[in-house]
Amino acid sequence: MRLAGDIPVAVTFTEFTQPEFWISVGLIAGIYTLVALGLQLNTGFTGIVNFGQAAFMAVGAYAMAILIVDVGINFWLALPLAILITMGFGVLIGLPALRLRADYFAIATIAMAEVVRVIAQNARGLTGGNQGFACAEDDASNCYFSTWRDLSNSINDFVESTFWSDPPSFFPLFLVVWLVVIIATVGMTYLQGSPWGRVLRAIREDEDAARALGKNTLRFKLQSLAISALLGSLGGAFLALNLSTIHPIVFEPLVTFFAFSVLILGGLANYKAVAVGAILFWFVLEGTRFIELPDPPFTETRIAALRLAITGGLLIGLMAFRPQGMFGKRQEMVLGE
Amino acid sequence: MSEESANGKALLDVRDVFKHFGGIQAVNGASFRVPPGSITALIGPNGAGKTTLFNVVTGFYRGDRGSVRFDGENVFRDAPYDIARKGMVRTFQITKSLAAMPVIDNMTLAAPEQPGERLQNVIFQPRAVRRRDREVHEQAIELLEIFNLAKLADDYAGTLSGGQRKLLELARALMARPKLLLLDEPMAGINPTLGRRLLDHMERLRREEGVTFLFIEHDMEVVMNHSDRVVVMAEGKVIAGGEPHEVRQDPKVIDAYLGGSVGSPGGGRGKK
Repeated sequence: MRLAGDIPVAVTFTEFTQPEFWISVGLIAGIYTLVALGLQLNTGFTGIVNFGQAAFMAVGAYAMAILIVDVGINFWLALPLAILITMGFGVLIGLPALRLRADYFAIATIAMAEVVRVIAQNARGLTGGNQGFACAEDDASNCYFSTWRDLSNSINDFVESTFWSDPPSFFPLFLVVWLVVIIATVGMTYLQGSPWGRVLRAIREDEDAARALGKNTLRFKLQSLAISALLGSLGGAFLALNLSTIHPIVFEPLVTFFAFSVLILGGLANYKAVAVGAILFWFVLEGTRFIELPDPPFTETRIAALRLAITGGLLIGLMAFRPQGMFGKRQEMVLGE
Repeated sequence: MSEESANGKALLDVRDVFKHFGGIQAVNGASFRVPPGSITALIGPNGAGKTTLFNVVTGFYRGDRGSVRFDGENVFRDAPYDIARKGMVRTFQITKSLAAMPVIDNMTLAAPEQPGERLQNVIFQPRAVRRRDREVHEQAIELLEIFNLAKLADDYAGTLSGGQRKLLELARALMARPKLLLLDEPMAGINPTLGRRLLDHMERLRREEGVTFLFIEHDMEVVMNHSDRVVVMAEGKVIAGGEPHEVRQDPKVIDAYLGGSVGSPGGGRGKK
């Protein structure tokens, strides 16, 4: 290692050993697992490349927040309503877009995601624009996260009194997210094993063959997209709860591409692989924060860029040696060509 | 034309079907009938519009005008999956085996009336779903045994040889419980032994299950010896129809194959 010889490379361990830091990384990994589970269903099992997952997250998050703050609906009702709205939005997008060929569908979805983000930036009356969305203008106690914060605090009180004297504030969300991840992974695996899931795989392999065997393929593709929207909106809502303001920038296309990296790392056509891919991706991306290099020439911004380069390098390396990802089936990948 | 000899009701009645692509009139007023229980061959030089007509009849292309009646029902411009569910099932010129799915899943996929294809049943009626799935699985294994593919049930369809894929596609189409099977060049690209087996299967299925066949074929020996009706297309029209020996002597047919600029008889197999 020439690098190590010439330039002192150091890793700081102060934060590295703190559970708080890793729980926050685990929380993000959990949210990305939900988001990427939807992509697994779409891309891994239905063969539709959905580049618009960030839009489903945005619609879910904003719908929930607006329903709570502006409409005045209870959080527990607003969350399922927001999910339903996002699913409806997915179907609405899918009805014209799913008639397109695979690659055109991918382009349509990325355009859709950008349209949603730009609307969120500019419809200030509705979303607060770039200022972000958090609380009612006239009532600082009426925020989208108020109910959740109260619940979260009482969960933490319980945690403090039982097994951990000093849990981070986001620990309850971490628990809830991973509980939902487990339920979603088990649920999706179950659905995939059904005749319904078989039709999806047939569509992935050859849509015309499925149609020739009496399957209304558009219906199945719409269902696939709607369930993906469900998972994306859950991820978006959790992401919003983890923040204290919802900003349009949170739903950049980069989010979708990170989720695709998670998917590819874990492996296609395997739901359990998604969580593993998410954990690996985020622990590498965040773990590289602790690489310390001498300031000139390595300024902070350069190191930030370097972290992404390292993560990208890892992905490229994996693709070279294990193109099917960690748990993908190589045979299915090769035969699927 | 082809209507003259059909005494009873036709299972498939195609009338004056037109289909164009831009300036090309691919099907130019084609009419023919397929009597129930027959093995009907659809022949014609390359570019005659056979496959296009297949696609219009099965709903994969939207016809410009005309009528297609199947089993007494108008199915012209219906969705392909609707037509398949009514009992008219097709295969493709280039086999569409679902490569990254096991052979058995290729088979079970095709079965009709599976409650498990609806999400609400998967979630709320898992028992009914499993029961039907077991039935379907048993039928699939039985069929695979008949087609000598049972050993390969758990292999990916993509690992099968070309001939085995043709057999699988036929077996899969049968899982859909067809009244009429449309086969687009079933013999193309497979060795004579397998081709022979495929033909035996067709004849047995007609005899035992009452399945009617309509198939596109270029091999004249197969057409003359194994079909009981032949429909001849040229330049988007049906130019002749009848029993093989009648068609063989029809001057219009000889002209279509040998005369003009249309091409050589039976030529171009595998070229498409």
